[in-house]
Amino acid sequence: MMDSLFPPENFSLLALIVAFPLLGAFVNGVWGQQLGKRAVRFMALTAVGLSFVASVITFLALAKLVEHDKGEHVKLAWTAWEWMHTTGGHGNTEIPIQLKLSVDALSGVMMLVITGVGFLIHLYATSYMEDDPAFWKFFAYLNLFVFAMLVLVLADNLPVLFIGWEGVGLCSYLLIGFWYQELPNAAAGKKAFIANRIGDFGLICGMFLLVHYTGALDWTGIANGSGSLVSTVDLQRVHVWPIGGGEFRDIGFLPLHLLQPHAGNITISAATAIALMLFLGCTGKSAQIPLYVWLPDAMAGPTPVSALIHAATMVTAGVYLVCRLSFVFVLSPFTMTVIAITGAATALLAATIALVQNDIKKVLAYSTVSQLGFMFIGVGVGAFTAGFFHVFTHAFFKACLFLGAGSVIHAMHARIHDGVQSQDVRNMGGLRKYMPLTYWTFFASTLAIAGCPFTSGFFSKDEILYRAFVDHTVNPFRIAAYSDGGHWAAPNWVAPAVFIVGLLAAVMTAFYMFRVMFLTFHGDFRGWTIGRASMISHSEVSGHGHGEHHEDLTKPGHAPHESPWQMTVPLIVLGTCAIFAGFLNAPIIKIGGKPWEPMGKWLDPVFEDAVKAVGFRQPGEWAASMEWPLAACGISAFVIGTGVAYWMYIAQAGRPAKSLAEAMPGLHKLLMDKWRIDELYEVTVLAMVDALADTFAVFDQSVVDGLLPRLSSLIVVGLGTVLRVFQNGVVHVYAAFMVVGLAATGWFFVAPHADATVTVSDNGDYVVQASPGMGYSYQWDTNGDGTPDEKTFGNTQQVKVHLDPGKSQTVRLEVQNAFGLHGAKEIPITRPSAPLEVGQL
Amino acid sequence: MSTHTTSTREDEGVTKFGTRELTLLALVALVAVVAARFVDASVPVILAAVVAALVPRKHGWDVRLPLAVITGLLVLFVLRAWPASSEDIDSAAAATTESPKLLSWLIGLPLAGAAFVLFLPRQSPQLVRNFTMLVMFATLALTIPLLNVTMGRGFHFNQDIPWLASLGIRYHVAIDGITLWLVMLTVFLQPVAAWVSFGSIQTRVKDWCFALLLLEGAMLGAFLSLDLFLFYVFWELMLIPMYVMIGVWGGANRIKSAIKFFLYTMFGSVLMLAAILYLAYTYARVSPTHLPSFDYFELSRLELPQHVQIWLFAAFALSFFIKVPMWPVHTWLPDAHTEAPTGGSIILAAVMLKMGTYGYLRFCMGLFPEAAGSQAATLAGVAVLGGIVYGALCAWKQDDVKRLIAYSSVAHLGYVMLGLFAATPASIEGAVLQMVNHGISTGALFLLFGVIYDRRHTRMADDFGGLAKPMPVYATLFVIATLASVGLPATNGFIGEFMVITGTFVSNHLGHVNGIQAVGAAIGVILGALYMLSVVQKMFFGPITKKENEHLEDINGREMVAVAPLLIMVFVIGLFPNIFLSRMKGAVARTEEALSSRLEVNVPPRYYEGPIRLLPRATESSPLPADLDQGASK
Repeated sequence: MMDSLFPPENFSLLALIVAFPLLGAFVNGVWGQQLGKRAVRFMALTAVGLSFVASVITFLALAKLVEHDKGEHVKLAWTAWEWMHTTGGHGNTEIPIQLKLSVDALSGVMMLVITGVGFLIHLYATSYMEDDPAFWKFFAYLNLFVFAMLVLVLADNLPVLFIGWEGVGLCSYLLIGFWYQELPNAAAGKKAFIANRIGDFGLICGMFLLVHYTGALDWTGIANGSGSLVSTVDLQRVHVWPIGGGEFRDIGFLPLHLLQPHAGNITISAATAIALMLFLGCTGKSAQIPLYVWLPDAMAGPTPVSALIHAATMVTAGVYLVCRLSFVFVLSPFTMTVIAITGAATALLAATIALVQNDIKKVLAYSTVSQLGFMFIGVGVGAFTAGFFHVFTHAFFKACLFLGAGSVIHAMHARIHDGVQSQDVRNMGGLRKYMPLTYWTFFASTLAIAGCPFTSGFFSKDEILYRAFVDHTVNPFRIAAYSDGGHWAAPNWVAPAVFIVGLLAAVMTAFYMFRVMFLTFHGDFRGWTIGRASMISHSEVSGHGHGEHHEDLTKPGHAPHESPWQMTVPLIVLGTCAIFAGFLNAPIIKIGGKPWEPMGKWLDPVFEDAVKAVGFRQPGEWAASMEWPLAACGISAFVIGTGVAYWMYIAQAGRPAKSLAEAMPGLHKLLMDKWRIDELYEVTVLAMVDALADTFAVFDQSVVDGLLPRLSSLIVVGLGTVLRVFQNGVVHVYAAFMVVGLAATGWFFVAPHADATVTVSDNGDYVVQASPGMGYSYQWDTNGDGTPDEKTFGNTQQVKVHLDPGKSQTVRLEVQNAFGLHGAKEIPITRPSAPLEVGQL
Repeated sequence: MSTHTTSTREDEGVTKFGTRELTLLALVALVAVVAARFVDASVPVILAAVVAALVPRKHGWDVRLPLAVITGLLVLFVLRAWPASSEDIDSAAAATTESPKLLSWLIGLPLAGAAFVLFLPRQSPQLVRNFTMLVMFATLALTIPLLNVTMGRGFHFNQDIPWLASLGIRYHVAIDGITLWLVMLTVFLQPVAAWVSFGSIQTRVKDWCFALLLLEGAMLGAFLSLDLFLFYVFWELMLIPMYVMIGVWGGANRIKSAIKFFLYTMFGSVLMLAAILYLAYTYARVSPTHLPSFDYFELSRLELPQHVQIWLFAAFALSFFIKVPMWPVHTWLPDAHTEAPTGGSIILAAVMLKMGTYGYLRFCMGLFPEAAGSQAATLAGVAVLGGIVYGALCAWKQDDVKRLIAYSSVAHLGYVMLGLFAATPASIEGAVLQMVNHGISTGALFLLFGVIYDRRHTRMADDFGGLAKPMPVYATLFVIATLASVGLPATNGFIGEFMVITGTFVSNHLGHVNGIQAVGAAIGVILGALYMLSVVQKMFFGPITKKENEHLEDINGREMVAVAPLLIMVFVIGLFPNIFLSRMKGAVARTEEALSSRLEVNVPPRYYEGPIRLLPRATESSPLPADLDQGASK
């Protein structure tokens, strides 16, 4: 029945999957205010819930199809309509761009995560946001986000993906600035949007390069055309210097030829250009160096938003894109290396910052950046399955961590009523007693992210580090097109370096996560007085904020309480997944001698194209023997990180941390200030753009708008001043001018004017015709030898000249007029060497 | 205090303007007529209309009904114009003959209306307003047959009669797939601009309506003329009402701005006139009849050597570049926009600037292909650097919101010009679509800014702040218009920019720098977000800093009705651009092929060398007048 209702080529259920959240967003956005909270909640949950149900049905249909066509890369697709077209490819053919959705193994998993985790977070938010006056708006935005995210993963071509890509960016912008009346929130939203736009610039560049080189923008078309992306022929490569492959010529005194490279033009393959540009897009969306700075600021949004958008789904879009276009990325070993190194550097940088932050959400934000770095290490070394698997597991444990943090903040906020104070771990402690469910789920997810053996994070992170180490060249692929040698290969130190950096980041991850957990849930509650006292002045001044219950803020309030079921149920589900999801891809566990990796098997057909394109080098025996030693490295990273955290914060109750900070105040300050990267950008890139804009604005006002009109008005005024002198109304001055004018006219008639026109006929006969004048007589020198044809002036008004092809001749004409005055002109005639085409001239 | 008085006056304005029933009636009748013809398509139309009627929360039927009608009509438009159903249209169009008088009616109706307005009593402004709206709606209704024709590559509704026969001046109007959308844009935006202006303009209403109608007729005439003399007449005619609009109903500095506007545009026009005359008399020298001609198709047969062509091209191009406006002759625009009343700003930005881009596409590229081709790379550099990048950065630094939108126009039109210079099918189609897009989204921005200007009478972004709280609906609509302007995918801006950028990269008219120009255009995408989001943040977010802003009235019914069609069109073009692209495709292909064929024949150095002469007539697409053909054979 499924087949007849939804054939694979016209699987209209996909339309429903995206339509439900859109409908929810529309209804809540337009009528939410009147509908009331119950209806809004119902609408939002139903929309995502139905979408989840439809996703499950789709996934099952897909699984059935996969079973049917074993080993093939199958997909279900649905075309809405032809959206637009562009031209490109070789020979500038028209490329139609369809509004088309499709789902395959990769996007199927993403789709389930988005709708599934999305539903749980929606449920959580119904309670978390209950007191917000803009409850309806929040759910409209959240539903809109789910819609955009689904479009992103279900898109069948890059422009449609771009709808989702920018759509999630928009929702992120709106939700970060959800409490827009605080200017920093709105500013954080703007920062996120603009950082993402820089990434989108890369995506647009990637798109036009793809249009030009492959003549397609849909996945199948790009895969088919990807052969032309690697070429050693100069013309089919992207010229980096000189830009576009031109040549520098001197302009006036500017010695531009010095810019011309001596050893030929610098070119890169189209694959490298495209992959680098697309990766720029990924760094924006997935918060990697250099564009990661927006994500920590994005924590200004409500916590469910941080969980859904800035941890579980949107930020992984970059990893998804690399996986999606894996067959393009593998063609560029250079880009793959860049991705791996960027991932490793980001993982370490973010982890160092997370070590010292006190804001619980900031720690989680930097840990997200760091974990995204791990994912990019994975896809960068060509382990797409491992990288994507980390996306999958990370969605569970990071969403759970954020929601757990939200639960804590919710409880703290009920006591403190201060956004900043209620997120500070220094005000928490001992919450295990008051919020047991939150504690246990948070603990489970912390174990997972720290890489405790047999939790989900262990399997996914371990696999990434393992692959980074055993694939010595970083890029495990051998490119057929370059088999003659001479292609770029990563230096040998890259792989071990990436591994070691990753391991270091893993140690730090275990440390900072357990630090946060110990500070939040263990020890004694430090919030009895801290924060409340600070609220006294606050509430007196503004008199705002939940002002109904006027508590005595000098006394310790009631104890923090566990959150309602809408919040704890998602926590329990996600926490369970955080522990057990890893078994979906656990190659270390062998069943019947074969590694147990259903997820890997499921995804293999997707990455087959990539493997096929470049030829996969099987890791040897050596690699297999490294499996357990490297796993031991991972486990020890967990043990060391956790152990140090336990020693510092439980055994020694935080004293070592304090003394360490005091021992190195500079470093500590630098870490607290996030390495001052924001400030660095402020004084470099931003200052440059700002200065440029200032210059332009001033230039526009003073030069373009000042000089141009003023100069022209000056000319007009000057001319007027000069001409005014003549218009003085004195008759004899006018008479004098008349005399001058008459004299000039007279002279014109008296002086002879020699002039002639040349006409040509096909056989090379040229006729030179002298212009007539009063009383003129003519003397010709046809052959141009200096002696006239006739001694005297005659009435011959025209002469004929015959020229052979390629010859030229000068005819001299002398004119005598009635006054006996002479005038002369030389007329050069050249016949082109090519035969004259009749009708062409 | 001032807010209070403002809002009361606003209220009075609304209640005084109580006779919208007449217009509504006309609209309903229009819907009924159209719906009766296409009954099969009525279900989604009615559905959309009902949803639209339910959307406004705090308004009565006086708002709900027009919204429903507008939405219904636009959905009907999408359904009927959808390319998939073009076969039905073909069969329908085959039966209906193209009336050669239709375009004359289209131009004549507003002009006649303008003349008629002169005889209406000044004392009853309501009558004048209603009459004006009626004429505009009638003009809009007249364009329906245009959409029922399969546009293809050629010209349609051709009307060509001798006017001043001895001088070779003819009355020649026709429409093709490119002008179709510019005409539609004009007739679509005029009622919107008029409707919104009736709220804020209370003095000299009769004169205002006269100017509006005259302007509409002149703009339509300029888009439709294929005789250069006729084109020039309309081109100049257009200038006068706009000059008056800025000068009479403008802001504090209006006189200076109006004169600046007039001088800049006039300067270009005069050069163009000289070039037109030269062309016409050159034609007389080489044509067998020895008569001058101003006909576009005749003049485009002229093959001119470099030293002649480059000067004529320069004269035409300068005139168009001033109108676009391109760097460095763009500075009249911010001044004109800031001082013009809201209605004037909308028309100026949305339609009049398109005269420049359209003129370049039709006349510069059509008459001087070699010059246009050889200068394209340099000019594209100006469009990217001076338009897209410079315009955007200047916009970012403006404190005056209207100036900011004006500079954003410079940036957006940079995309249009880049698309034209690149001259690939995709880039030209993108450029034409971007002309329409800019009209819609910038029109919406000016309209929406006019709403807050009417309440606060200041243009400085710093005077606002936190407006999202007192005016939530207004803020939402403004953000939607902003996103369209920024070019978010699924809004109209994206389609145009995307097609222009990809078209630029694959172009072979720009030499080896096409890559860097495409990248430069893509950078504009970042800068667009930078300046638009900055101003949105300044105006709407953060705490309310000024007391006057605390109790501002949210967007009212009249303004909502005015902005609704624009915002719906944002998504119509964003999601269904194929409606537009499929109709302009043929005409763009014709233009592009004409250009490339001339450029390919004469390579290198691309220019034709030799005496001026006439090319044979193109066999397709030039609807030549029968009597001219006879004249040539005599």
